[in-house]
Amino acid sequence: MAVSTRRLQKELAEIKNQGTPVGIQLLSAENFQEWHLSLEVLGDTVFAGEVFCLRFRFDNQYPISSPAVQFVVDDKWKAPTHPHVYTNGHICASILGNEWSPVLSVISVCVTLQSMLASCKKKELPPGNDRYVRHAPDNPKKTRFEYDDDTV
Amino acid sequence: MTGIAGTTMQATPTTQSQSRIPTVDDLRVKLCFICREEEQYNSPEDPPRAWTHPCTCTLVAHEACLLQWIKAAQDDPTRALNALKCPQCGASYQLESDNPHPKILRLLDNANALLSIAGKVFVIGGLATVVVSFGFGVYLVLTSYGAHALRSMVGEEMYNILLTDEPSNWPWHAFINLPMIPVSLVLSRSAYFSSFPLLPLIISWPSSHPVTSAAARIGGTGWRLLSGPRDDLPYGPVFGWPPSPMMASLLFPLIGRIYREQYSKVMHAILGKKPSERGPVRDIVWDFGGEGPVPFRARIGLAVDPAERQRRQQQRREQREQQEQQEGQEGQEGQEQEHQPNAQAPAQDAEGQDQQGNAQTIRITNASIGRAIGGALFMPTIASFMGSVLYRLAKYSPTLRTILAIRPPLVGRRRIQLLGPWLDSQGFTRMSLLKKVGMSLHVALNLVCGGTRVWYESDPVWWRNSLGLGIFIVARDCIELLYLYLAKRDFETRRVKSRPFEGVDLSQLDLIHPPTSDASNGLVPAA
Repeated sequence: MAVSTRRLQKELAEIKNQGTPVGIQLLSAENFQEWHLSLEVLGDTVFAGEVFCLRFRFDNQYPISSPAVQFVVDDKWKAPTHPHVYTNGHICASILGNEWSPVLSVISVCVTLQSMLASCKKKELPPGNDRYVRHAPDNPKKTRFEYDDDTV
Repeated sequence: MTGIAGTTMQATPTTQSQSRIPTVDDLRVKLCFICREEEQYNSPEDPPRAWTHPCTCTLVAHEACLLQWIKAAQDDPTRALNALKCPQCGASYQLESDNPHPKILRLLDNANALLSIAGKVFVIGGLATVVVSFGFGVYLVLTSYGAHALRSMVGEEMYNILLTDEPSNWPWHAFINLPMIPVSLVLSRSAYFSSFPLLPLIISWPSSHPVTSAAARIGGTGWRLLSGPRDDLPYGPVFGWPPSPMMASLLFPLIGRIYREQYSKVMHAILGKKPSERGPVRDIVWDFGGEGPVPFRARIGLAVDPAERQRRQQQRREQREQQEQQEGQEGQEGQEQEHQPNAQAPAQDAEGQDQQGNAQTIRITNASIGRAIGGALFMPTIASFMGSVLYRLAKYSPTLRTILAIRPPLVGRRRIQLLGPWLDSQGFTRMSLLKKVGMSLHVALNLVCGGTRVWYESDPVWWRNSLGLGIFIVARDCIELLYLYLAKRDFETRRVKSRPFEGVDLSQLDLIHPPTSDASNGLVPAA
C-alpha cells in the first residue's frame, strides 16, 4: 500500500474520531486521491456567512510532496475574493509551496487557510488575476508563485 | 540549562543511568511526524525500523521517512535551503555518514564546484562572444576554432601541408568542414549523438591534397597528373600502422561504443543501479538563475498530457466495449465479458503511478551547459597536450615509439602523382573510357580509405593525439566514477543524528519511565 494511502487513512480516522475544528467540515473522502472540505470563517469578518469548498488532490508521494489545494469554483461553489485567491480557485500560500512540510496535514492546511481568510480586511482580487486565470495550469502546483507578502 | 543538569548529575553520582537525558528510545509511543505510523515501546515492529529525534522539539520520525523528506526537499532548489531544518522548531538536522575517504569526497566536491563556476564563467564569456560576433562572426569563430582544432590534432607539420594559416590556400571543403568541427564536438557530448568526438577531424582531411605552397615545398614539381617515373602510389595502404584513416574512422566509434557499454556496466556494478531504472523524461527544467536570485527561470513541461492519456484510455475502453458487443452478438459469453473493464481499470491506474514514480527531471543550469560545451571544445587542446606527453615518453620506450609510429618530419623531395604506378600518359589516353573511369574510381576509393601518400608518410601526430585523448577520457571517467561512488556511499550511509530530549519539558513526553513529580525542572527522570 502506498505511503500516501496509509497516512491519509490515519488522517481520516483522526477526523472521524476527533471531529474537525469549528467551521471546517469533511464533505467527501471517497478515495485517497481527492478530498473535499467545506470552509467557513466564523465571527465578524468580511467573509461572514460565506461557505467555501476546498479541493485537496494527493499524489502517491504525499506527505513528502504537498497536496494540490484549491477552492472549488463551479455552479455551487465560489472562490473567496481575497488578494491571495485567484478567481479560478488557485491559492497563493507558501505552506502549499516551498514551505510545505510533512508535519502539516489536511486539517492544519484548512485551519491555516481559515485564518488567512479571517485576517483579510478588504475583499480584493489578486493583482494580475485575469492574466493568471487565462494561462493558469489545471493543477495549481505547477504554478511557481512568488510569496512576497507575509502580512495577509 | 546544561549547568543545572550538570549539578544534578553530580548530586546523584550513583544513579547515572537515571539522570541520563532520555532519547527517542525511551518514548512509550513513537509517532512518526511524516508517515503518522505509531510504535509502542513494548511491541516493536518486525523488522524494526530506525527512529530518530533530530531536533530540539518533541517531533520524532522514522529515519527512512526523514531521509526521504530531506532528499525530496534538497532536490528542489526553492526548498533546499530549509531541507535540513525542523519544520516546527527550526533546529538544523545533523547528518552523519560512513565515508571511508571523506577528504577525497570533499576535495572532489570542491573540484566539482570549481568546475561549475568555470562552466558559468565560460557560459557568460561564450554568450558575450556569440552576441558580439553574431552572423558571419559566428561562422568565423567556428571556422577559426576548427582550424585550431585541426592544428592541435594533426600537428604543426601536417597543418602546414594541409591548410596553412592563409585561408586563400584552403581547399574548398575546409570552409564547410572547419566550422562543423566545433558543432560536432559539442553534439558528441549529448546523449543523442553519441559518437567519437573527433571523427570530423579524421574523415576527409587525410584524403585532402596538400595546398600548393606546401606541395611546392615538399614535392618539388608537385602534384601533376600522369607525369614522372612510376615510383610511388598516390595513396597510403589501407592496412598498416598507424591505422589508415578509414580503419581509424571505423575503429574509433566501435571502440568508443564498446568502451561506453563496458563503462556503464562497471558503473552499474559499482553504483548498484540497473541500466533500465531511468524513467521517461517528464520534465526539463531550464534553471539559468542557478542558485542565485536571478529571476530568469523558465519551465518546459514535457509531461504527458493527462487529458491525452485519459482520452487514449477512453478509446481503449471503447474499443474493448465494441469487441464485447460483437462477441456478445456472436456467442453467449457476453455477461462474463462485461466485468472485464472494471477489473482492468485499477491496473491502468497503477501503471500511471509507476510512470510517475520513475519519471525523472532533467535540470539544465548554465553551469552544466558550460561544462558540457567548454569540455567538448577543449578536446583538441587536451588531445594535443596528451599527444605531446606521449611523444616525450616515447623517447624512453621503443615499444611506445612503435605504437605511436613516430616518424621523422618530411624532408625528401619526392614526385607524387595521382595515377602513377600502372600507366604513363600514353597508356592512359589509349585506354577505353570504361577503363579510365574504373581506374579513376579505384584511385579515388583508395584515397578515401588510405589517405594520401603525404598523410601516410608524415609523422602521425593525429594518431598519438587520438591515443592520448583516449587515455585522458578513460582517466577522467575513472575519477568521475570514484566521485560518484564516494558520493553515493556518503548518501546511502548518511544518518540523521539523534539527540536526547535536552531542553524539552519532560512532562510533555510520554516516557516509559516517567519522571517523578519532584523533578520540577523537568531534567531529572527518576526510576
